[in-house]
Amino acid sequence: MAENVKELVKRYRPDLSLAQYGRVFTDTTSFMEIGYGDVISIGGLHYLVLRDEAERCYGIEDPKYWVKRCLVLETGERAILKLVFHESFDLELGNLKIRCYRSPEKEARILDLVRGDLRFMQGKSRHDSAGNVVRILEVISGKRLDQAVYEIEADHKTYFREHFPGILEKFMGSCEAIAFLHGHGELHGDIRRDHLWIEHRTGRYRWIDFDYTYDFAESPFGLDIFGLGSLLVFLAGKGIYRIQELEEMGFGDRFLDSLTNEDFSLLYVNRIVNLKKIFPYIPDSLNNVLLHFSQGAEVFYESVDEFLADLRPCLGHLMEAQK
Amino acid sequence: MNFKKILVAVDASENSFRAVEYVGEIVGSSPGFEITLLMVFRPPSRDLFPDEAAYNARISEIKSNAEAFFKKAEKELEGKGVSSHSVASVCLDAVGTSIAQNILDFQQSGSYGTVVVGRRGVSKAEEFLFGSVSNKIVHYAKNCTIWVVE
Repeated sequence: MAENVKELVKRYRPDLSLAQYGRVFTDTTSFMEIGYGDVISIGGLHYLVLRDEAERCYGIEDPKYWVKRCLVLETGERAILKLVFHESFDLELGNLKIRCYRSPEKEARILDLVRGDLRFMQGKSRHDSAGNVVRILEVISGKRLDQAVYEIEADHKTYFREHFPGILEKFMGSCEAIAFLHGHGELHGDIRRDHLWIEHRTGRYRWIDFDYTYDFAESPFGLDIFGLGSLLVFLAGKGIYRIQELEEMGFGDRFLDSLTNEDFSLLYVNRIVNLKKIFPYIPDSLNNVLLHFSQGAEVFYESVDEFLADLRPCLGHLMEAQK
Repeated sequence: MNFKKILVAVDASENSFRAVEYVGEIVGSSPGFEITLLMVFRPPSRDLFPDEAAYNARISEIKSNAEAFFKKAEKELEGKGVSSHSVASVCLDAVGTSIAQNILDFQQSGSYGTVVVGRRGVSKAEEFLFGSVSNKIVHYAKNCTIWVVE
């Protein structure tokens, strides 16, 4: 007879005491029923569920019931288990709605593709007793890149001269990682500020969460490229700038009236991407890359390689300015 | 290139049917024209479907829509006076990521002098994110005339 949770904990983690001992699951189909104190038995290991993961969105905690934060009883390591949850929904990007699908199979495939490539989160997938593709992910000990940048205590000019060149260099490495996915016919699918993390121990930038996908389009990687562009705008500006932020910074009516639609993001129409207007010391080479993501853009990047080809010289210009 | 050899790129949409109607109006019963209706078939990603049954059902639906479209388009052309002997319908499995490139490759290999596409009209943001087959064709086509029907 299979061991129950109490027996498993006693055997592997005798020092551990739980507020409640739940059930052992080998079939994770009903993920809503799996919670704290339960154990998921898969791939020869036992994962004690500690809690559901959650995302904070607009200050509200959004629980992800299909993502479980776990303790591996055999090893004592932490792990995240993503259980199968097929859903499709309209993702709102600015004024556009895009049909988005959550695909466990896609994420499992990418985990295989990037095994050992630390520009990405690492993990493996295993089938549970019902055939569900469970992804077993490492826990990255680190911080969201955008938070880390936002918290740098420096005015923009100092940040731009002293911190940004190093950040840009690493960010370009992250872009190369996305180009690697594209080269293998895969897309990240959800390039947002909170999906690029800095690992505490190494300072390495690492992409997380690959389970979003979309129907094919003529430019299959356009969404990823736009995500990279929006992230670059954030990093170059050390934040997002809308009219409200500019008013708070003391820009007057004359300046605000000088802004045109062409200065704002193609998708997020209230965000300024022509950052040189706010920070005149931003080199033209970099600002021109940013303007590819503006409403004034006439030419779009069709590949990450094109984006990087324009971005690489910018790093040289910034490094020279540092000397 | 023979400009009377017309390649109409279709995708079973209303926009592409408008392109067919337009070609019918222009060509009518004039002699010497050859019309090929080309549909590049790219199956949806398997990742979008929870199981094989849902995926297969979608594929069947797409194929049946394509067949119905071809019948309707051929009838439309015939109704405009185009001889059924000068109309061919071709369904091609997509190679690579760009449908526009598949169409242009077919145009080159068949020496089509005219390419006709429908256009639904996309915003700049949509073009960035998803691309546009018609815009790509206009941009990259060589040695042929392009008719864009909106």
